[in-house]
Amino acid sequence: MIYLDNAATTPITPKVMDVLKESLDSDFANPSAIYSIGLDARKLIERAKEDILVALNIPSTHKIIFTSGGSESNNLFIKGRCFPDKKVAYLGLEHPSIRETLEYLGSFGNDPFSMLEYQTEGRLDLNDVSILSETRSKLLCLSHVNNELGTVNDPIAVYNALCAKAPDTRLFMDGVQAVGILKIFSDMWPGLSGYSLSAHKIHGPKGIGLLIYDSKLSLIPIIHGGHQQNGVRSGTPPVPLIRAMAKAISIASERIDEMQEHYKFLKNRLVQGLYELSDRIPELNIRLNSLEVDDLKRQSPSIVNFSFPPVEGEVLLHHLEAKGIFVGLGSACSASSKKPSKILVGIGLSEEEARCSLRISFSGNNTIKDIDVFLEEFSCAYKSLYPTFSKTTIEN
Amino acid sequence: METRTLLIRYDEIGLKGRNRRHFENQLVKNIRFALNGIQNIKINKIHGRILGRVNLVDAEKCTAHLKSVPGISSISVGNSIEPDFDKIASLGIDLIQEKLESLGQLKFCVRTRRSNKSFPITSKEFDFEVGARIMEALSFKGLSVDINRADFILEVEIGPQETIVFDNRVSGLCGLPVGSSGQVLSLLSGGVDSPVSTFKLMTRGCRVHSVFFDNRTFLGRGGYDKVVRLAQVLNRYQGGGKLFVVPFEDIQVAIRDNCHDMNRVVLYRRMMYRIAQALAQLNNCHGLVTGESVGQVASQTLKNLAAVSCVTPMSVFRPLIGMNKQEIIINAKNIGTYEISIEDQPDCCSVFMPNHPTTRSKKKYLESDERLYPWEKLMTQALASVETINLDDLHVTT
Repeated sequence: MIYLDNAATTPITPKVMDVLKESLDSDFANPSAIYSIGLDARKLIERAKEDILVALNIPSTHKIIFTSGGSESNNLFIKGRCFPDKKVAYLGLEHPSIRETLEYLGSFGNDPFSMLEYQTEGRLDLNDVSILSETRSKLLCLSHVNNELGTVNDPIAVYNALCAKAPDTRLFMDGVQAVGILKIFSDMWPGLSGYSLSAHKIHGPKGIGLLIYDSKLSLIPIIHGGHQQNGVRSGTPPVPLIRAMAKAISIASERIDEMQEHYKFLKNRLVQGLYELSDRIPELNIRLNSLEVDDLKRQSPSIVNFSFPPVEGEVLLHHLEAKGIFVGLGSACSASSKKPSKILVGIGLSEEEARCSLRISFSGNNTIKDIDVFLEEFSCAYKSLYPTFSKTTIEN
Repeated sequence: METRTLLIRYDEIGLKGRNRRHFENQLVKNIRFALNGIQNIKINKIHGRILGRVNLVDAEKCTAHLKSVPGISSISVGNSIEPDFDKIASLGIDLIQEKLESLGQLKFCVRTRRSNKSFPITSKEFDFEVGARIMEALSFKGLSVDINRADFILEVEIGPQETIVFDNRVSGLCGLPVGSSGQVLSLLSGGVDSPVSTFKLMTRGCRVHSVFFDNRTFLGRGGYDKVVRLAQVLNRYQGGGKLFVVPFEDIQVAIRDNCHDMNRVVLYRRMMYRIAQALAQLNNCHGLVTGESVGQVASQTLKNLAAVSCVTPMSVFRPLIGMNKQEIIINAKNIGTYEISIEDQPDCCSVFMPNHPTTRSKKKYLESDERLYPWEKLMTQALASVETINLDDLHVTT
């Protein structure tokens, strides 16, 4: 099996699995309980928290809340800060857990402000952020790394632009695709009012994530109950998942230099291979939707999105699946939802280009051989599919 | 261990003449199959009824299982008792007292049915005698008699061997017992309609096997997994069902590459009917079942239905033909397939869907399209690669 859909999820790494198994076996006590084993469980959470703070260089000005994952973290911060009537802006290329949360606010008359017309290369054009001041937006929501394209909004640069042109606008970033790929420096935090991440994207378990936010801010909870985590997020904290996530974050931070080099290597091989295929197969018209640059402030090295009309991405995905290769769709289109990806259309692709695309995303487990096998099978599948699809297109 | 009596009433079987025994025996067999997991249960056939003897703790579970057995009109859980006024009244008092205490007031009546006509007291007299004893005990607590609008009906069935007293009736699926009308083959897609049409034929006494046309090379395995789950849910109503999975991608690619775009969907369906007919003949099925409803989609216009049906001499049953979508959805919800059907998975008819499918296909053009690709050869290949799933062997998860 060759797994190239690591932006969707990643397998749990053995060291994390060891922590998880050991903790599932032994750390059963409720960390809110006041007897000794409950206190022990609480200590384990505190230790995990410290490990996370160190690994991500999080200063004491920020606190962390354990959630069920990135989607909940995004919901909690946006609704917790802006419900019902604080104006929120977004680029329009964010993950549905941001986009649809904002649409939810819109249903209460608090329509979000889309900055899609101010995007270039899938990123916010910082020359235009003064519009946020004009629209009185209190919060700007952005992806640190775009989940389909891998394009990067650099938090420091965005914050500096906001300070200069829209000082009343706070910054929230979805960091789900960034952690483990880009370095999280301490100087990034002063500009961030909130930041979300998820363990399963960095070889941790599913069902656990983090919201990191400025401790001066108050959040209205969306889950009410036992007042755990200072009432911000009720529910018994899952000690094994928290410990496993802390381990996954620590490993990801320790290996980041090595991984960045590895990803760049894989990405370059893939991009070069795609262009070579394009040269070899006259019908193959590759369009790279991700940026080709090596600049980590503009593009993540772990995601490559490309289009190849007129062959449908979904069909190619299943042909690759038959060969044991698993890739991601830039655009999920099935019989009942023929709508192409809002992200790809949002950066200017035609509906056909958006439908005819794939997303390749790497992890440390991938090798150069994986990329070569992928390229070979991709070219075979494309060649077998192209002629008939071209006929359809011409007739249409 | 305290026991209870299951009183199982059947539906249309009661209207049968000389062949009634055949239907009754099939229903008893199906009931035994449905209650296979219940220990120490005894099922007997008496005149016009089927009786079960079961431990008190399993009685409710049995009722739940029997609600899914076609051919049963209703089920009651009761007590077998001597046909003695005082004993029956005493049991009635116990049952009524509990309800009376929570409600404060209660209207009740007694309804007796005598299948043992040699019993010396008439049903009316029996009602009166038992009712009077209950009133004597409970009238001062707010109990009254109302034979037309009773809140509580104490029913007594006096049979040749035993008398059963009960206060509940759970409705069954009605219809005929599966297996009494032979076997048919249903074209099952992942949509809302075909599971309902499959179910409809089950309640007409047919054992329904299903066929699914699979194009996983283009659509992935999601559609296949979904149809297996649908078939499992449907098989709970009958048992013994099979699902045939036919690889269909080569046929679809050949149609796409060689035939007129506008005819594609009708041409797919003509091939589905042909393959289904062949499978039906191989498996002793005497008709095909589809979920078509006139005018619902482009392939289901009168002309297209005719253009598809004409490829097979076999009977094609379309139980949904005159139903609207809302009715079909209500049926699907009742039988438990709706939530699976609406999962977002494409079926193979959606592959290579033309922009303008024909609504008035003509047989001569379809036949001329079919001369453009080797459909007999592809059909033979598809039939040689059919996967057969025995649904009884799979564990049901919904």
